[in-house]
Amino acid sequence: MILQTALLIGLVLFSVLAIALRDLLKSAISLAVASLLLGIVFFRMGAPYAGVFEISVVAGLITVLFILTIALTKSGEEVRESKLANVVFPVVFVAFLVIDALVMKELVGKVPALASGAEAPTFGEALWKGRTLDLIGQIAVILAGVFAVLALFRKRDKHE
Amino acid sequence: MSNTWYLYLFFAAALVGAGLLGLLGKRNLIKLFIAIEVIGKGISLLLLSTGLAKASLLTAQALVVTYIVIEVSLVATALALIINIYRHKRSLDVRGLANLKG
Repeated sequence: MILQTALLIGLVLFSVLAIALRDLLKSAISLAVASLLLGIVFFRMGAPYAGVFEISVVAGLITVLFILTIALTKSGEEVRESKLANVVFPVVFVAFLVIDALVMKELVGKVPALASGAEAPTFGEALWKGRTLDLIGQIAVILAGVFAVLALFRKRDKHE
Repeated sequence: MSNTWYLYLFFAAALVGAGLLGLLGKRNLIKLFIAIEVIGKGISLLLLSTGLAKASLLTAQALVVTYIVIEVSLVATALALIINIYRHKRSLDVRGLANLKG
């Protein structure tokens, strides 16, 4: 339990760093570390498949995509962030955490348990039989993403 | 079980809150997208912890895996858009995108 709490604190810390750090490259790497910690939390919760996906896809592939974009846009450091937001952000976040701790305690007892049938015995059955429509949706989303990227990077005709 | 669930919900809400504050306060397009990613992390933690607390972990896992696949597609499209915007505007400042503002 203590280790799990430490992992979760690290997760929030690195996520906040990813947003707050000025250097975009360091932000992307902080986000990757946060994903890695989230993957480990998933493993420890007894969800190895979600953990594997989180570590390999989110911490790996998405970080590579982010770093590639940062390299292609020459790190975009000319953007001046608002100074007011840099001062207000930590204060509001701490206030949010206090409210979160108080509200969530009340909320946990009041969330009604949804009626659910017996769960499938394996992850494969839960995914392929229980959530078949999701898988079809995933294929559609991947195709949509591929076509969107192709459309955004197509070469212009000479006549245009 | 309720205590563990409370812990997970607390941290999930903290992630979502940090992401929302980042979305409100930052101006760099890539930073805004990193904030969206952080919100997504909070949501997947919320899904899985609720699955754990309500004894339907496998379904929650299937949902998280679906979410991760959608996230990759979203990231690829959004980053391609950001690169295109940079090519046109030579800047990643979100304030430069207010051309259509009345």
